[in-house]
Amino acid sequence: MNDSSWSIFVVLLVLLSFILVGLRQKARESQEYGFGGRFTGRIGGGAAIASNWMSAASLMGLAGIIYLHGYQGLAYVIGWTGGYVLLLVLLASQIRRFGKFTTPEFVGERYGSRPARLIAAVIAIAISVIYCVAQFKGIGLIFSFMFGVGYEQGVTYGALAVVSYLVISGALGVPRNQQLQYLVICVAFIVPLMWLARRLGYFWVLPQFGYGRALTDLWREFRIDFTLPFAHDSLFQWCALCFTLMVGTGGLPHVLSRFYTVPNVRDARWSVVWGLFFIALVYWSAPAFAVFGRLIEARRGMIPSPEAARAAADVVTLNTAVAAGLPGWLVGVLAAGALSAAFFTVAGLLMTGASSISHDIYYSFLNPRASERARMQVAKGGTLVLAALVLIIALKPPGLIAEITAVAFALAGNTIFPLFLLGIWWDRANRYGAIAGMLTGVLCTVAQPLFGGTFPAVAAFFPLTSSALCGTPLVILVMIAVSLATPPPPEEMRSFLEQEVHGHMD
Amino acid sequence: MSRPEKRSKVNLFRPKKGHMRDEVLIILAILFGWVVCTFGFQFLVYACRGTGAGSLLTRLTLFNLPLHFWFTGQFLPLWFIFLCIIFNVYVDRITEYHSRKRDRSYE
Repeated sequence: MNDSSWSIFVVLLVLLSFILVGLRQKARESQEYGFGGRFTGRIGGGAAIASNWMSAASLMGLAGIIYLHGYQGLAYVIGWTGGYVLLLVLLASQIRRFGKFTTPEFVGERYGSRPARLIAAVIAIAISVIYCVAQFKGIGLIFSFMFGVGYEQGVTYGALAVVSYLVISGALGVPRNQQLQYLVICVAFIVPLMWLARRLGYFWVLPQFGYGRALTDLWREFRIDFTLPFAHDSLFQWCALCFTLMVGTGGLPHVLSRFYTVPNVRDARWSVVWGLFFIALVYWSAPAFAVFGRLIEARRGMIPSPEAARAAADVVTLNTAVAAGLPGWLVGVLAAGALSAAFFTVAGLLMTGASSISHDIYYSFLNPRASERARMQVAKGGTLVLAALVLIIALKPPGLIAEITAVAFALAGNTIFPLFLLGIWWDRANRYGAIAGMLTGVLCTVAQPLFGGTFPAVAAFFPLTSSALCGTPLVILVMIAVSLATPPPPEEMRSFLEQEVHGHMD
Repeated sequence: MSRPEKRSKVNLFRPKKGHMRDEVLIILAILFGWVVCTFGFQFLVYACRGTGAGSLLTRLTLFNLPLHFWFTGQFLPLWFIFLCIIFNVYVDRITEYHSRKRDRSYE
């Protein structure tokens, strides 16, 4: 077998192993624990949080953006880790005690409004779609890399593979083994990096520290400075991007719903710490791929033009591995890690989006008398419609993987984060405030493309990928003002918040 | 005899006495540590550029990385983990304290 056949073989092997292990886990669970008796523990819960989080943006997009923008790209590392602090201290335990698992359910219950629930469901679906576009771009790039086909063909094959997986796992009832998945993703990312550091002659045992010398060499030999702070963008842009990703993390629907699979509040809190550690392991490593990539290019006498660098950025991890002469099977391991991260994120998001269409829009709003069978059919149809919509957008991807993902975070940070924050921490927030806040949040997110041309100040304060620095405080103010100007929410809800969510120790 | 009904109040900036006040205090402390290290440091790097302090921040190296790059890329994620641990230890402690206090009130 040649190198590329080895890569394809390893990728298929890894994906197949997930289905087999899933089936085995299912058989064992039903024998030993019965239904729903899954015990994961704090470390297991942390691994599940991390694997739920890992996507093409983490494994491909992050290295790509650092390769392209150097220090500016670190805003992504900080935004995507620092958001967990916000999530832990402000929302995790309280949402769990509130007892509603999905964003539309929480909004429907807390604000007692069907229109608010509908808007929240549409926003959650929009976030899933944008997030999936970034994942599809990653999957398309990996497929075109492995099979040597064009990007459009790659992304179409990728979409078919994801839908097939959903059909197979739906038919067989395969559960996702997230702990195993995290282990595979982490090993698949870090082992090739160690190999790479060794090949280039750097400290390979901990390549996260070893790339420091590569960075120095890059400057000494080629005068390429990766570390210059605020070289291309301003301090405001750095902080705006970082803050947007942080509040976006706190408002991302599939992250929020993770706290319910751990047995109790205390374990849920501690599993966030483990989850953050597991995430940081990958995030400490991603810049190394970017630096090694630039160094190998420079040593080969290639200084790409900005356009060429932008085109290559998202596949910098794979290209670097190939350019450094890593064996085909190891490149396959790297591709398998990135592909499974993107693949399972898409599968999870499409299923969640489809169930939201079926439950929150069709059943709760359009047809409350729908039978179980009709709801199931809507969910299945919804999956296909969402997958097709994502595929159409992903055929002409509007930006880099990390940039597309950042837009999803901006939307989540501008809409869902304030809704949860005030919903949990301010009993006076009401349905009118919630609706006004969500609409303002959506406007803030799309302000640059819609009004940026006419009002340059809008584009400056609400950049598409980083609108939440100005957007979130604005939405909070709107929610407070509208809530105060309208009647307070029902006393039952305020008592529930006081006694159940915050008063459990009184 | 009926007592006047107590009005429910939940407000992050006016927490109730007891567990909630302790919890809010630690939340605000952690958020302070989070803001200062994340954004305060970037302001510092920006404000000090072109000065001796700026040169110290960007030229001094740790693990062969310039200090500011090391601080942002490697130390901050570690700092976030540390903040989460502090928060959890403290919340575990106040939860235990208040649950003991609450149990005694039932005696």
